[in-house]
Amino acid sequence: MTSEQELVKALQAIPWFQVMTAEHFRKIVNIAKIFKFEPGQVIFHEGDKEDYLYVVLEGRVAIEITVPGRGRMRILTADAMDEVGWSSVTPVVRQRTAGARAVLPSRLVAFDADELRKLCDEDHDFGYFVMRRLANVVAGRLMTTRLQLLDMFANPADYKEE
Amino acid sequence: MAEIQISVGSTIALPKKGLEKLHANLLKMGYRVLGPQIQDGAIMYKPLNSIADLPRGYVSVQDAASYRLVYSGHRHYFDVTPGAQSWKQFFFPAFSDLTNFTRNEHGQWQIEESETDLTPLALFGVFPCDLAAIQVQDRIFLREEWKDPIYWSRRQSAFILAVDCLHPCGTGFCASMGTGPKANPGFDLRLTELEEVFLVEIGSEAGHLVMEGVPILPTSAFWLQSAQKGLEDALTKMGRTLPDQQELPTLLLNHLDAQQWDDVARRCMSCASCTLVCPTCFCWDARDSVHLNGLTARRERVWDSCFNPDYSYIVGGNSRPNTRSRYRQWLTHKFGSWYAQFGISGCVGCGRCITWCPAKIDVTAELRAIREEVQS
Amino acid sequence: MIQTLGKPHAFSPSEPMQPYWAKIVEIVHEAPSVSTFWLEFLDTHLREGFHFKAGQFNMLLVPGLGEAAISISSDIEDEHRIGHTIRSIGNVTSTINRMNVGDILGVRGPFGSWWPLDDFVGRDIVIAAGGIGLPPIRPVIYYVMHHRHDFGKVTVLYGARTQNDLQFTSEYKTWQDAGIELQVTVDRGDDTWDGRVGVVPILFYNTRLDPRNTVILTCGPEIMIRFVIFEALARRVPPERILVSLERNMKCGLGSCGHCQIGPYFVCKDGPIFSFDKLQPFVNVEEF
Repeated sequence: MTSEQELVKALQAIPWFQVMTAEHFRKIVNIAKIFKFEPGQVIFHEGDKEDYLYVVLEGRVAIEITVPGRGRMRILTADAMDEVGWSSVTPVVRQRTAGARAVLPSRLVAFDADELRKLCDEDHDFGYFVMRRLANVVAGRLMTTRLQLLDMFANPADYKEE
Repeated sequence: MAEIQISVGSTIALPKKGLEKLHANLLKMGYRVLGPQIQDGAIMYKPLNSIADLPRGYVSVQDAASYRLVYSGHRHYFDVTPGAQSWKQFFFPAFSDLTNFTRNEHGQWQIEESETDLTPLALFGVFPCDLAAIQVQDRIFLREEWKDPIYWSRRQSAFILAVDCLHPCGTGFCASMGTGPKANPGFDLRLTELEEVFLVEIGSEAGHLVMEGVPILPTSAFWLQSAQKGLEDALTKMGRTLPDQQELPTLLLNHLDAQQWDDVARRCMSCASCTLVCPTCFCWDARDSVHLNGLTARRERVWDSCFNPDYSYIVGGNSRPNTRSRYRQWLTHKFGSWYAQFGISGCVGCGRCITWCPAKIDVTAELRAIREEVQS
Repeated sequence: MIQTLGKPHAFSPSEPMQPYWAKIVEIVHEAPSVSTFWLEFLDTHLREGFHFKAGQFNMLLVPGLGEAAISISSDIEDEHRIGHTIRSIGNVTSTINRMNVGDILGVRGPFGSWWPLDDFVGRDIVIAAGGIGLPPIRPVIYYVMHHRHDFGKVTVLYGARTQNDLQFTSEYKTWQDAGIELQVTVDRGDDTWDGRVGVVPILFYNTRLDPRNTVILTCGPEIMIRFVIFEALARRVPPERILVSLERNMKCGLGSCGHCQIGPYFVCKDGPIFSFDKLQPFVNVEEF
C-alpha cells in the first residue's frame, strides 16, 4: 500500500472525516502525514514549536507536564480517534504547553498546522467545519479538566477547613 | 339517678364533680394518668394524681414568640391550651434505649434484655390537634414492615381522653388543617366542657368501661346546642388560618428556589425550637457510648432536628450547610413531602412552632408569602 | 421495602434496631484505606439462608462506637458469607478497617432498594462507576457472569483517583473473559501507568450504545454521577433507564430517623437505587 492510499484509508476511518465534503477531504489529505511511535517515544516536548495537529489512529498517547519537584505528571491520555495538540490550530502561545509521549505502540496522523490555518482562512466553510469540531474537543477537555480539578475522589478530610 | 344505657358511640352528660370518679377509675384500672399541670409558669404533662391539679381557672395567651399563663378565675378544667410540650414525649421519648450490650466471659459483646415499663398510660386532656398529631405519628412509627417497639408498647395500651377546644389558643389553625376544634375519631372518650357539665362521647370499649360507676346524666337539647354553638364560635376565633393546605405539596416542591427562603433565613436562628415543640416531628439520632470500664456499651435514641448542623452530614461535607436550606427542608417536609411519605400532612395546626419561635416566624405567614410570590 | 421471600434476614420487624452477630472470616485488602470484609453470621439459620439483592446494604455495628451503612459487594448467589467493601472515612469505618479475622460485628439488614436485574434481561448494560462506587455494583457483574446469555452487550466504565485506588483489579481479567467489556481510567497517572488518564464520563466518548435498549447503572462521587447522567442523556438514554445509587447519612436503614431524606424519598428505604426520572425534580436544586 502506498503511503497516499494508507493515508486516505486512515483518514476515512476517523468519524469527522467521513462527513467532510470530497473537496475538503482532498485539501486535508494534501497536508497530512502518518507517523509511528514506539512506547515511551516522545512525540513533542513542552516548549516545542507547534507544528502539527495530531489524531491518534491506534495506540495511546499521554499528555505530560513536568512539574519541578514532582517530575512528569500525566494529565490526560488520548486513545484512538482522539485529537492531540488542538491548540496548534488557534495558537495563543506559539509553543507546546505540554509534552506528548506514546505509552503504547501508536500510529498518528499529523496535519501541518500552518497549512491547516491557511486552508481555514482561505475557505471559510472548511474553516467553520474544522473549528466546530475542535470546539467540541476543547469542551470535552474542559469538562475533564474541571472534574480532575474538583478531585472528586479525594478523601473529604483532605479538604476540611481548619 | 336512673340507669342510662350507654355504649360505644353514645353521648352522655357528666356533671363536673363526676370527673373525679372518672379519674379514680382510671387509676383503679392500673393506668398511669398523665395530665396538664402548671409548673414554672407553663403547662407541663406530668402524672396527674388528682383532678385538683388540673389548671382550673387559667387561660394561656399566645402569640408569635409569646406565651403567658393568666389566671382568669373561670371554673373550667381544660381551658388552657397546650404549652411547649406535646404528648409525643410519652410514645416517642426524647431519650430511650435502643440496645444495651455487656461483655460475656469470653469478652464478646452480648445484647442485654432490657426492662420495659409496661404500665399503661392514660392521657387525660388531649386537645384535638394533639390527638391528630398522635395519629400522624402512628403512621410513622407503626408500619407494615416494622413497628417501633417503644412506641408500640406504650401506644397500644394507652387511653386517650380527648377534650374539645372551645377557646382557641391564638396561634393555632386546626380548623384549616381539619384537626379541630372538635376532636376527630380516635379517642376513647371525648369531653366537651360546658358550664355545668361535660358532654362525653364514648369512643371505644375502653372508654365505655372507664365510665362504670361514674355519675352521668342524659344529654339535653340545651347542652347539645351549647356544645354545638361553642364549637361553631371556636371556628370563628382561630388566630391563624392556612387556606388550601392540600395544595401546598405542589406549591412548595415546585418552588424550591423562591426568594422567600432567603428572607426567612435572615430571621431564623436554626435553634430547632420548632422541631422540639412540634408534636409530629420524628427525627432521631442514635448515640453510641461505652462505659469507661469497657464492659458495657449502649445505643441510645435521642431526638434530633433537621436544623442541627450535623444532621445532613454526608461524606464530603454537609448537604444542607446553611439555615436557608435547613428551614426549607423543614417546611417543605412538614407541609409537602410528608404527604407523599405518610399520606397526610405533617402539620396539625397546633400553633406551637409559632408561639415558641424566638424569632417570631409564623409558618402560616411564610407559606402565604411563598404563595403570593409564586402568584405574582 | 423489606422483602422476605421466605428467607431469613438480619432484621426483626418487632425489634428493627437489634443487631445480629457476624464473624469476620476473611479480609481482602483492595486499595489504600479500603478492604473487603467477609462476614459469616454466628446464627446458623442466618448463615445458611441470609438473602440480599444486588445493591442493598447492611448496617454494620461496632458496639459502643456506632453503625455504618455498607453496600454488600459480594455475589447474591453466594449466601454463605457476605462481603462488605469498606473505605475508612469516619470513626466506625476506620475502626472496622483495623479489625482482624475472628472479630465480631453487629449486622442489621439487608436494607434498601436494589438493581432490578429482571428488567435488564435482553438489554445492553453500561456500568459507569468511580472509586468506591464499584463495590455496590459488583453483585451485578457477578450475576451477569453467571447468566451471560440473558444480557446483551455489557460494558464497565470505571475510574479512580490513581492506579492504586482502583478496586478489584485482580478480577478484571475474569470479567473480560466472561464477555464484559472493561474500560478503566484514572484522574491522575504517573509514568508507571500505561492506562488511560482522564475521567469516567469521557469514557462514554469511546463507547457505542443503543439508547433504545441500554440501561445505565452508575455509582460514585455525586459530581461524577451528575456528569455520567449528562453523557447518558446526551446519548438519548431515557431517564427511567439511568439508574443511580445514592448516598446520604443513613442511620437507621428503616426510613425512621429522617436523616437520609431527599425531598419525599428516604434514601435508605426508597433508595439507595433510584431511576433518574424520580430524582430529576430535585437534582439541580442546590442544597436540597
